Amino acid sequence: MIYGDKKTGIIVTGATGKQGAFHIALMNEYARSVGGRGVVAGVTPGKGGQEVAGVPVYNSIREALREQDATASVLFVPGFAAGDSIMEAANAGLELVVAITEHIPVHDTMKAISFATLNGCAVVGPNCPGLLSPGEVKMGIMPSHLLSRGNIGVISRSGTLTYEIVDELTRAGLGQSTVVGIGGDPVIGQTFVDVLERFEQDPLTKAVVIVGEVGGNLEEEGAASTDLPLAAYIAGVSAPPEKRMGHAGAIIEGGEGDARSKIERLKKRGVPVASRPSEIPRLIKELI
Amino acid sequence: MKFLEYEAKKIFSEYGIPVPKSVLIRTPEELSGQMDRLGSEFVLKAQVDVGGRGKAGGILMADRKNGVATAKELFGKTIKCLPVREVLAEERLPIQHEYYLSVAVDRSTKEALVLFADAGGVDIESLAKNSPDAVRRVSIPLLMHDLPPFMIRDLLGKAPKEIGPVINKLYRVFCEKDAILAEINPLVTTPAGVFAADAKLIIDDNALGRQGITANRDLTEREREAEKHGFSYVELDGSIGVIGNGAGLTMATLDLIEFYGSQAANFLDVGGGAEQERVMQAVKLVAAVPSVKVIVVNLLGGITRCDEVARGIIQADVSQPVIVRLAGTNEEEGRKLLDGKGYRMLNTMDQVVKAAVEAVQ
Repeated sequence: MIYGDKKTGIIVTGATGKQGAFHIALMNEYARSVGGRGVVAGVTPGKGGQEVAGVPVYNSIREALREQDATASVLFVPGFAAGDSIMEAANAGLELVVAITEHIPVHDTMKAISFATLNGCAVVGPNCPGLLSPGEVKMGIMPSHLLSRGNIGVISRSGTLTYEIVDELTRAGLGQSTVVGIGGDPVIGQTFVDVLERFEQDPLTKAVVIVGEVGGNLEEEGAASTDLPLAAYIAGVSAPPEKRMGHAGAIIEGGEGDARSKIERLKKRGVPVASRPSEIPRLIKELI
Repeated sequence: MKFLEYEAKKIFSEYGIPVPKSVLIRTPEELSGQMDRLGSEFVLKAQVDVGGRGKAGGILMADRKNGVATAKELFGKTIKCLPVREVLAEERLPIQHEYYLSVAVDRSTKEALVLFADAGGVDIESLAKNSPDAVRRVSIPLLMHDLPPFMIRDLLGKAPKEIGPVINKLYRVFCEKDAILAEINPLVTTPAGVFAADAKLIIDDNALGRQGITANRDLTEREREAEKHGFSYVELDGSIGVIGNGAGLTMATLDLIEFYGSQAANFLDVGGGAEQERVMQAVKLVAAVPSVKVIVVNLLGGITRCDEVARGIIQADVSQPVIVRLAGTNEEEGRKLLDGKGYRMLNTMDQVVKAAVEAVQ
């Protein structure tokens, strides 16, 4: 596993909102099923002393850390407050922030990531489903019943498309070591390069699926950075230029970041690219 | 959201970046009383949001004698399909040299990328490719309030020092306006000093609210309607309507339609929590597009309730066939609701898309 395991204590910020409360319950249900620690505290400024889904709520991360042992936080706060929450977590000494929040102004993301980096804190997301290491830990909102434990790492800029591909892998008997949703925003913390670096250190992971989409060139940078066997799917072959395809980061700008040239560059590096999601299991089986 | 040249110039000048003397006109006649302010020769620039505006005939030279007639000519044009509704009349600058300057969001470094080039009025990508030495760049974390002097020295190279303050001012515009791109191309030197001869400003759509912008002008009417419901929507050219949850899955559905030899009419991501009401609205919105002959609904998620989705589809009651792929909770119940009502429910993404493509062929 990468980023965390059964022993990881998690703080959820934005705990008292509808999303936060709902997913604390699901994360802890998962933690109980694998014998992990799960969410140990919630944080919402001004709501300290309450309890959500059986978890104590504190006013700040620092306050939570005085009573609870945690190293990671999962964020469900609204977009305008998310940059602040990332910086709070980094400043309090947490090692990892998983930012689920969508619609964070990109400048807030850039500042928060620079600040987190200065504090030695890794940021997954924003605008992501989080991560899940089957049998170990769930930090985020992935539907755990679609995943199974195994040797395939998955890194994706998407949410539901990740579930689609993970479902295909599971049905084909290909379990996953860790599935990481790195987020659909133009600027994200952990990129394909960073996650691949962690997968290289992970004895469980034998091959990695890259699920990319139009916009930027993070997929190609990732492919160039690793010796791990990779297979890829890139969404947006039919996306028109200069149109934002749902994700803030999914846009072909100035003639750059289109799916076809991404696919060409990946293939040049020897990475097999699936022309539809259901082809991924076959490509992976050919690699291992 | 993109700003037009005159709007961007107004903002740039508020930050102390010199811009040419100008007048914005909405009819050719408005120019007649204003020409004195522009000097003997001036430039008429169509305020339309297209690249390559000059080559497309959107910029005309004029003088006091032919000013109104030239403006009439420009107002009569369409520039790359867009009608000319506003024209910026600007003094003609005695240009000594042209440069390029921009500040942009850089996905790779997660910082602001400042680009400066010794040639202006050019396509920066091809300049960077053909003469890499002419383009200089620095990356700066947004935690910095100003560009440190060494960065400005690095950017300028042998270019005149008087440009330095303009670089920092454009960085301040970028920071304070939540820009994803602030560009001056060309930035020109004249005997009277440095000027932004053109201006481009694009603001982050996620920051429009705090920038005091209520409506995103870049969206079409239907896209804006979709936005009100919280959907992401993009108009396309095909005949298969597409509704999905999640941007990636919806995009992959579009691609699969192309893979099987057809084209989608739209991209619609209903977002998280596809409840009855939202699904109904999404189906109605897509069905209202005249070119849509069949609708594909592709919903996958741990917490999507299939019975809710099914009720939404039935409630929408549209004339086009609806082909559904549902995976989530209460799958059986959803299937029962849809069965026998003329809807088709299939198990995989490949199956629904294939069925839809066959239906339109």
